[in-house]
Amino acid sequence: MLKINNLHVQVGDKDILKGLNLEVGPGEVHAIMGPNGSGKSTLGYSLAGRDGYEVTDGSVLFDGQNLLELEAEERAAAGLFLAFQYPVEIPGVNNAYFLRAALNAQRKARGEDEVDSIDFLRAVREQLKALQMDDSLLKRAVNEGFSGGEKKRNEMVQMAVLQPKLAILDETDSGLDIDALKLVAEGVNRLRNDERSFVVITHYQRLLEHLVPDQVHVLSNGRIVESGGRELAERLEQEGYGFLSPEEDAA
Amino acid sequence: MSELLEQFSAPPLIELESDLEALRKHAQKVLMQHGFPQRKTEAWKYTPIAALERRDWSSDGPDESAARTESIELPFDAHRIPVHNGQIDTSQLNEIDGLHIEPLRAEQIDTSAYVDHDPSDAFAWLNLARLEQGICIRVTHTLERPLALQFSSSDQFKQAAHPRIRIELAEGVEATLFEQHRLHGSGLINLVMDLQLAAGSSLQHLMQRQNDESALIARTEAQLEQAAHYQAYVLDLGGALTRQDLKVHLNESRARTRIHGVAALKDKQLVDYHTAIQHRVGPSHSEEDFRILADNHSMGVFNGRIHMLPGADDSHSDMNTANLLLSEHARINTKPELEIHAEEVTASHGATVGQLEEAARFYLRSRGLNDAEALALLKFGFAAAAFDALESEPLRQWFTDRLKQAL
Repeated sequence: MLKINNLHVQVGDKDILKGLNLEVGPGEVHAIMGPNGSGKSTLGYSLAGRDGYEVTDGSVLFDGQNLLELEAEERAAAGLFLAFQYPVEIPGVNNAYFLRAALNAQRKARGEDEVDSIDFLRAVREQLKALQMDDSLLKRAVNEGFSGGEKKRNEMVQMAVLQPKLAILDETDSGLDIDALKLVAEGVNRLRNDERSFVVITHYQRLLEHLVPDQVHVLSNGRIVESGGRELAERLEQEGYGFLSPEEDAA
Repeated sequence: MSELLEQFSAPPLIELESDLEALRKHAQKVLMQHGFPQRKTEAWKYTPIAALERRDWSSDGPDESAARTESIELPFDAHRIPVHNGQIDTSQLNEIDGLHIEPLRAEQIDTSAYVDHDPSDAFAWLNLARLEQGICIRVTHTLERPLALQFSSSDQFKQAAHPRIRIELAEGVEATLFEQHRLHGSGLINLVMDLQLAAGSSLQHLMQRQNDESALIARTEAQLEQAAHYQAYVLDLGGALTRQDLKVHLNESRARTRIHGVAALKDKQLVDYHTAIQHRVGPSHSEEDFRILADNHSMGVFNGRIHMLPGADDSHSDMNTANLLLSEHARINTKPELEIHAEEVTASHGATVGQLEEAARFYLRSRGLNDAEALALLKFGFAAAAFDALESEPLRQWFTDRLKQAL
């Protein structure tokens, strides 16, 4: 599904990712943990194609195609979704309109027909209900005046409606209380199947209790320095990142 | 600038009754004395009147055989008043219940608010000095349909025309006035509108403009009696030179006004809105929100003045102006002015000039919209908020659809 090889990314004149390797198979959930400043969000933005995140070396294959050649919107249409750490407010554009425009843009890019508006609303309402969000959200401007938790849940609504092949969740758990965290985890679990993959960037192990990842990776100083099963996350929770070997940190 | 006055002095005027002749002469005298606004005339410093001076005003009337008869689209049936090349045509308004059309009389022309010691109000004086056709529309009952003033000019239009329209709403009457402008050619429409709102009356004034080379200089003055309500909604899609002065006088208690506008500009368009709301008596209420989006080499100006005079105690005013620069060559000048001489008032004002955020653009693109679609959606979201307060859902839809098409 996703194959990242020796990825180097510069932001401004600063090297952030310094030879990152990661392979995510269909239907797999991978967690990426790591200290602040290790490059976790940079990885998400680079994969989603944000301007200013310059790939200086390496390659990324997504579903067999060269991801780095695609514009941000082409990556979305190809099935890549980034749940933002800080979802952006779009004043004056209501959620329903935005989501439908996004879905139709993706469908059009894939040569599919526009979505039927009744089917669309039904699908969105179902997702809202599952995430315990009020229908009135549809008429509110995208993320404007939303609480931190509402913004994160709104990302999950978008993900569920857009049905990506690969979803990258950038600290979707941060700022959520226990109940909201469970809702988000359930939202992800509902979407899991043999085809769809997830990369879950997080600081904490608690989301992973609900999400049970196939693999856990530790990102430090722009590289994956440790990979393992879910027990790695538990160890990080107990010991912090102190066990990372000093030479890795210095690298 | 005296040249401009000479140019505007042709052709000779038709004769009017003596009171009106006297007004014209007085206006001419004021103009001779103070001329037209200069760059240093504060209220006009961003409106390049000099551009008018370079135009050729000497030609004869347009050849109407080649004139386009544009029918300006409306969202609903209306009592139409076409004003083509400055000529007011009220022929479609015969025998409508509650509607009375009369020629304007001298005593209906109030110049007390015109500045006569400097050129600030030169175009209002010019309108009077060149007055030929003035009409008064009296609305004595609530009308079933809106009034639609539809200003157009043909491609061959090169003249200056000075229409003058007075609209009176009787006590308790509710009316909707659609004012639309599609000016072609390279002339000038120098319009003066006086709106009189008697006690308890309510006017919804919807302005929709999209002009090209012909200039529009408009002065609209609304006088409100007790508990009258004046609402103006503006959608201006630009023109080579558009200047609107909108003055609202809240003369009695519980009078209230709302002005919401959007100007979406491109190319080398220039649009200048000067609004002034006078709270003369309290409690009175005003609310204003004006948004400019300026692209390419365009320039947008908004000057919003709120004046609370002694006696306007317990009044309330909110003003907001938000602006979006879409090109490094575009310019926006925006200025809220608040002057308070009353007690126990609440007033707020805010002004922002910004650019579209990269983060928002990326957010939309990451969901599948291409850059052009993302840009259009962000601009629309920014501008459409100005029409949120429009009570009629079909009207709001109509305005936002026009806006969407333009962005």
